[in-house]
Order: sequence, then structure tokens, then C-alpha cells
Amino acid sequence: MKGYDRKTIGDLLEGALPWQQTKQIMSSYKDDDRFLKALAAHQMRVPWKARILLPLGENLYIVLKEGQRVVRCSCGFVFGDASRNWKLGAVVLVRKTRQELEEIYPHADVCDGNWMELREFICPSCATLLEVEACAPGYPIVEDFRPDLDAFYSEWLGAPLEDASGEASPNEHGGSSLSQPPDRNT
Amino acid sequence: MKLAHMMDGHRASKGPLADQLARSERLFASTGHYAGLEDLELRQADPLRFETVHMKLRAFCVSAREMARRISASPGVREVGEMVVALYTPEGDAVALSNGIMVHVHTMSRFIKWMIRNEYEGNPGIAPGDIFANNDAFIGTVQVPDVMDVIPIFHEGRLIAWAGAVCHELEAGGITPGGDVALAQERYAEGLFVCAEKIGVNDTIRRDYVIRCERNLRMPIYWVLDEQAKVAACIYIREQLLELVADIGAETLVSLCREFIEEGRRSQLARTRQLTVPGTYRGHAFYGHITSGKPGFQALGDPDWLYAIPIEMTIGVDGKIMLDFEGAQPWGYHSMNCTPAGMDGGMFVTLTQHMNYEGMVNAGAWLATELRLPPGSWTNPDRETCATATSWALLLPAFGVFQRLLSRGFLARGFVEEVFVGQVNSPMIEMGGINQHGDEFGIAHFECAAAGSGALAIKDGLDTAYVGWNPESDMGNVEIWEQEMPLLYLGRSILPNSGGAGRFRGGNAFLSTWLVSKTDELRLVTSEHSSRVFDNAGMCGGYPAPTCQVHRTVRNSNIAQRARNRLPLVHDLGPGQDRLASRLDGIHEQTEGPFIAAPMKSGDIFTHSYNGGGGYGDPLARCPKLTLTDMRNGHSSRRHAEVVHGIRFLESSESELAIDWDATKQARKSMLRNRLERARPVSAWLSEERQRVMSRDFVPEVRKMYAAAMRLSPRFAAEFRQFWSLPSEFSFEDTGAGKDPSK
Ligand SMILES: [Zn+2]
Repeated sequence: MKGYDRKTIGDLLEGALPWQQTKQIMSSYKDDDRFLKALAAHQMRVPWKARILLPLGENLYIVLKEGQRVVRCSCGFVFGDASRNWKLGAVVLVRKTRQELEEIYPHADVCDGNWMELREFICPSCATLLEVEACAPGYPIVEDFRPDLDAFYSEWLGAPLEDASGEASPNEHGGSSLSQPPDRNT
Repeated sequence: MKLAHMMDGHRASKGPLADQLARSERLFASTGHYAGLEDLELRQADPLRFETVHMKLRAFCVSAREMARRISASPGVREVGEMVVALYTPEGDAVALSNGIMVHVHTMSRFIKWMIRNEYEGNPGIAPGDIFANNDAFIGTVQVPDVMDVIPIFHEGRLIAWAGAVCHELEAGGITPGGDVALAQERYAEGLFVCAEKIGVNDTIRRDYVIRCERNLRMPIYWVLDEQAKVAACIYIREQLLELVADIGAETLVSLCREFIEEGRRSQLARTRQLTVPGTYRGHAFYGHITSGKPGFQALGDPDWLYAIPIEMTIGVDGKIMLDFEGAQPWGYHSMNCTPAGMDGGMFVTLTQHMNYEGMVNAGAWLATELRLPPGSWTNPDRETCATATSWALLLPAFGVFQRLLSRGFLARGFVEEVFVGQVNSPMIEMGGINQHGDEFGIAHFECAAAGSGALAIKDGLDTAYVGWNPESDMGNVEIWEQEMPLLYLGRSILPNSGGAGRFRGGNAFLSTWLVSKTDELRLVTSEHSSRVFDNAGMCGGYPAPTCQVHRTVRNSNIAQRARNRLPLVHDLGPGQDRLASRLDGIHEQTEGPFIAAPMKSGDIFTHSYNGGGGYGDPLARCPKLTLTDMRNGHSSRRHAEVVHGIRFLESSESELAIDWDATKQARKSMLRNRLERARPVSAWLSEERQRVMSRDFVPEVRKMYAAAMRLSPRFAAEFRQFWSLPSEFSFEDTGAGKDPSK
């Protein structure tokens, strides 16, 4: 199905498109060139030039920077190699006391901090709240999404990524898709 | 159950259907195509006929459902639409389905295949005019109230299809009234089971079966008339189908149905490749179950549980979606276990909403996906006598995770309009005793079919209008519910701030406040209400919805006196207030988690709240105008706007509030600074947390959760130890963890 213009896609990404038009897009057949148009819209939105390979969240991208695939905040902060869970490069605010929880849940029955804590993963540079984990204390940090970028570009888009130039692709670090463990000695 | 086990399994078949089923499975295993169809010849030869016949089959199902809803006596079916109708191949694969509770399209498939595998062709026989019913989740349904009927459709002596229908019953005759039998701790307390039983011949339901229903249910009129409705729906489909066969021929119809399924499989794979990105996705939800000190619960296992529900989703290069529940908790002596059929149902209803909304949804979608359900876990119990009556309590949080995982794929691919933070639990209230007419009764209150939805990436979630299990969610009219139960509504009001915060907030929930009326014995029970933990999550910086609400009751209230004195009554709790406490005299009680207590009587007050959805994006990025509108509509309190969103207002009367844009900007700046001051590098936090894990410094329920998950899953145990750099012998076993109920 034919695509929409770049401005429409940009407004859609921002949540700024009028509802009638959004609804129309939701109810129509999907546009085949969406990914590339969305990438272009994202690229215009961020204040840096490095090539976006994949959006990971509202404000997170996998970016090609100096030949390396890294996770980057829309503000420009680099969390590290895309093969590592970006959350490990963030700062975290953990809420588990009633007082801390009621800052987010005024007038509500909140969770019991002994059973569940909220972990707010925050960009150390722009302070944007990037992800909230609600889990039992002690639960390993989750890597939300590890895309198979090479297969995506080569098999699904038919345009293989040529950045690798002998470097390991993100998936070859393999192993568990949980995050890397913390350093025992720190 | 043991006998059924002996009869189950793939063995030398007896009967043409069994041969057909075995052949179909062999062909799929060897070719990867449904029924071995590498080419869709009929589609290629006549694409117009292909589409037309498919549309007709769907229309038969939709019309049958609408007609049947008029026969039902149950407000669950009539008002809320708790019904689905579908058409199956002779082997039991779904071809076309109506709208409604699409969960059951695949569970019925399991039921039909179960009968074929268990040699029903020999005894009790499968003949024209036969009616088979089932509500046994280990044969193929989700929970005891989901009663399904199927009929074989014959043409010139050959079985060419099955028609099937499911209604969710409002009363199942279990240990507690209603259908989601909250107190059931094992199968024997769940109520009336119909285990793949031939309940009728010659298109007529057997009288002795109806008598059994009448003598074992608190409110047989719902169940029995629903049976009539379902059988009518199935017969309607049969008559329509045979007319179509007269037109196009039986052979063509059967072949077309197979092609529809292979086409459905291909379109599911293609849709995944179109909308997502291959890779590994992970997420989790939690559920807390508190029964300590509550009346009726037997001491069979730990009274209080914390359930972790981790899911890993893999999207392969071929477009196949695989969900892996490794790390799930073992099944337990409660009603929240789920069978593989129920898990299929959760998967199926989610896929139909998010990927297969264009119509070609059938068994093919199921063939393009895979569930890995660890044996012995609540997702795949290794004891078929465990209870599953409230399996939605864990299913809904689980498939809410699935919705968020899929949404990460949609987001990465640029299809932000499809991003959806997902479904939440729908706490249910059920009751029995003596109704306002002096009769015994029992019913499940289905206004829970209207929770708040998770947010979207482009707008707020739906308020009081969505549940995952019925995409056409409807709370039903107050007046209808009041006819069916001895309760009068004092209010049904939006719960402000009950959606999770975010740039786009989760949909809000509502709270009902009832006055018990004209009865001395009203037994109230609730279920699917998480305690101590939020059983949902936000996404991309959005927060989970606050879903730990308690029930508030007032016994022997003075409301009648207040009414006589023309004093204000209590229609809701009010944000940050407790109008029950401030306005009513009587015995005030608060109950955490499932409500079960001594019967209530006229003059007592009961409140029950439902769940809002999770939020999306950073709440400090929310457009203040959206929140101002929320405040004007009672969706948000001023305090919430200020502390969560950093919005500041120009001082003016409450009705003419205006945003102070400069002050808002400043407040948000300072809140961002405050975040960075309070937050710590993840690495520093992890090394401190590691000490806590090493010393197992958690409450018993958390320790038991880890012990049970690590015992059941060596992979989870290894990953847990690896993440925290723990010695290979580390476990939670030495901390007094409860015994594994499955051992
Ligand atoms: Zn940033």
C-alpha cells in the first residue's frame, strides 16, 4: 500500500496527528515504506547526525557511531555498545517506601515495597525517564529487546548493513539475553 | 483422569477422522504447510470465489452469534457478549470465527481433536444430530464457566466440518458462587464438569443432562438456556453451510477450508515480518495472592504467593513468534493455574486484536506461533486435578506482557499507532445466596469487562472500555445488573489517576459502590485482584497502573437514616478521601486482595474497583492540556497533576483552572534535576543489591518465589546466578522456602 508523506509520519510519531487522520491510518492497510520514512523522521528529530539503525524506545535508538553500533538517547548520550543492555549505562531511581511510591501514586493503594519495587531507568544526561521496571526486589534487570539487526536489514529489508567491516555484529556476543552481570569487585 | 490419560496420545487410530487427523499432522510436520498445501490451487484458480466463500463462512458465524444472544437468559451473553461461534475442519482446525470471546477458537479445536484422539468415533460415536459439550480445561477450554458445544456437520454420510459455540457461564456450581470459582483450590471444588460429553442426539439436548444441570447449579437458567443458544447457533451454521455445499460442492468446500488455514498461516508470518523486527524480546509481570486468615481456604500450600511471570518472545527470520515462559512459578493449590489450552486461548485472542484484525484469522495463525510452557508450571500443570477456575488472574498479566513485547517490535518498525501498553487484570465480583425475590441465586458480575486499557504510543488508553479477553468490551447497563442481584448501585464512578502515569496515561478504571438490598444472605466473593504488587507495567518511561486496591465495606450502615434525613449519600470514595468513613456509621472493614467473608445483608455497603492500564512515555513530557482536560472530566486530581506531571496552575477557582506555562516549565526543570540528584549509576546500585541477594534479605514470599522458580527451571537459576555473579551452589532453599506443591 502506498506510503504517507514524511511530515505525516513525523506528526504521527509525535502523537501530534489529528485523531481522525490517525484513526484512518490505523484502519488502513499498512504502508510498506513505513520503516524508512519513520527512520528519516526520527533522524530529523534528534540533534545529532549519526545514522539511526533502529528506534528502541520513545527516546532510545541503536545508532551507527564511528563504525560501532551503540545505544543512544535522543539527547545524544551514548549508553554503550548495542550488544550490552543499555540499562546498565543508565542511572536508576528505585522506589520502595510508601513515601517514594506515593510521589507517583497520590491517593492510591500502592504496592508493598517488600514485594515490588519500581526501578526508574533515567538518562544521566537529559534526565528523561526511559523505562520503568516494576518487579520483585532482587529480580535481574531485563534486557527489553535485543534485535537481530543483521537479519532484519538483510533478510527483511533486503539491504544488508555494511557497517560491520569485520567487527562482531551485536548478536555474536550471544549467550544469555539477560544483562551482563555486575562486576563482583566493585 | 487416569483413564483419560490411558486413552490419550497418538496411537494406531480407529476411524476415518482419526486417520485424517494423523495424516494432516504428518503432512504439516513434513512439509511445513497446513495439510501439505504448498500451492493454494483453488485460490489461484478463482481468487474471487476464494474470498467470497471465506466472507460467507465468517458471516455465518457472526449471524449465528447475534441470533443466539437473543436466546440466552444471561446478561453475560446478552449484554456483555460473552460468546463466540466458529467453524472447524473435520480434523478440528478453526476455519472461520465470529467476533466475541475469540479466546475459545483454539480451545474448541483442542476439544474436537481430543474426542477424535480418544476414539469417540467408536464409542460414544459421532453421528449426524449429535451434540457434544465440554468445560474441562485439560481437554480444551480455559476455565470451568467456559462451556462449549460442538456439532458434527455431515454431508451424504461424510463428516465435512464441525460447528462450535462457547458461552461464558455466570454460575458453575462450585464451592463459591459464580463462574470464576475463587475459592477452588483443586478440581473437585470447581463445580459442574462436562467432560467431552455427548449431551444430545437428533439436534436435541438430552433431558437427563438438563436435569443434572438443574440440580447442580445455583442458577441453572443461565447455563441451560445458553446451551439452547449454542446449539441453535451450531444448527444455524450447519444449515447455512449445507446450502453453500449445494452450491459449490462438498469437496470444494473442504479443500477451500484447508486453503484458508494455510493462507492464514502465511499471512500471520507475513504480518509479523511486515510489522515487527526479528530478535529477542523480554518482559515480565507479577501477581500477589493473599489468603492468610481468610475463611474457607484449606491449608494445602502456602497461603500467600508472589508470582513472577517472565516471558521471552523470539521473532524468527521466518516471522514465527515463539513465547517462552521459562522461569514461571509452579502450579499451586489455588484457582489461578492455566492449562495449555488456556494459554493457547490467551495467545489467540491477543493475536486477533493486534495482528490478525483483517479477517483471515484461523488455525493458521496458531500454526505460525509457538508457546513453550514449562511442565509443572502454572502454565502447564503436571497434575490434571489442579484448579483453573480463575486462570485469567495470571493469564491477563502474562498476555499484557505479550502485548508490550509485540509493541516494542511495532515501535522499532515505525508503526507507532499499533503500540499498546496492553491489557490488565479484570477483578471479578461474584455472588450467591438469596436474591431480592427470596430465591436462591448465583451470578458473576460482568461489569469487569470494562477496565482501563494500557496507553498507546500516540494517545491515552481507553477509559473503562477494554479487556483483553473480549475485544468488544461492555460493562452492561446498571439496570440490567440490578435486575439480577440484590444490590442497588449507589454509584459507578471513574477512579481518578487509576491509569498508569506517562506522556500518555493508561486508561482509567471505575469503582462501583453498592447498597445490599432486600436480602439477609448475600455471599460476595472476588477474584483476579492482585495484592501487594501491581500486576501490569508501563512502557518507555510510563508507569504501571496502581492495581492493589482494597475492598471497603460498611456493615450495618446508617444509609437508610441518611436517606430519610435527605443527607448526601456515598456514590464514590473521592480522591484522597474516604467518603464511606466520613459519611457512614457502621462497621467499616478493608480487605486486601480476594474478598471472602460472612454473608452481607440489607443496608450493608460494598465497594469494588477495577483496574486501569499502564502508561507510556515520561510523565514529565505529558502535554499539560491533556491533564487539564482530565481534571475537568474527573480523570485526574490536581495533586496528581502537580506531583507526577509537574504541572502548575494559575490560582483561580477550581472550575476555571488554567495552566501556568512558565511555572510548569520551571517545575519540570527542577524535577528533572531532582531525578538526577536522587538517581545512582546502575552499576553502583547493582553491587549494593548483590549484597542483598547474597544475604537473601527478602520477605518469605519473595524468597519462596525465587526458590520455586529456580527449582523448576535450571535455566532461570543459571541466569539468576549469572546476573548477580553468584556461586554455582547459590539457592534460596535453605531459607525455609515452602514445599513445592507439585512434588
Ligand atoms: Zn538523554
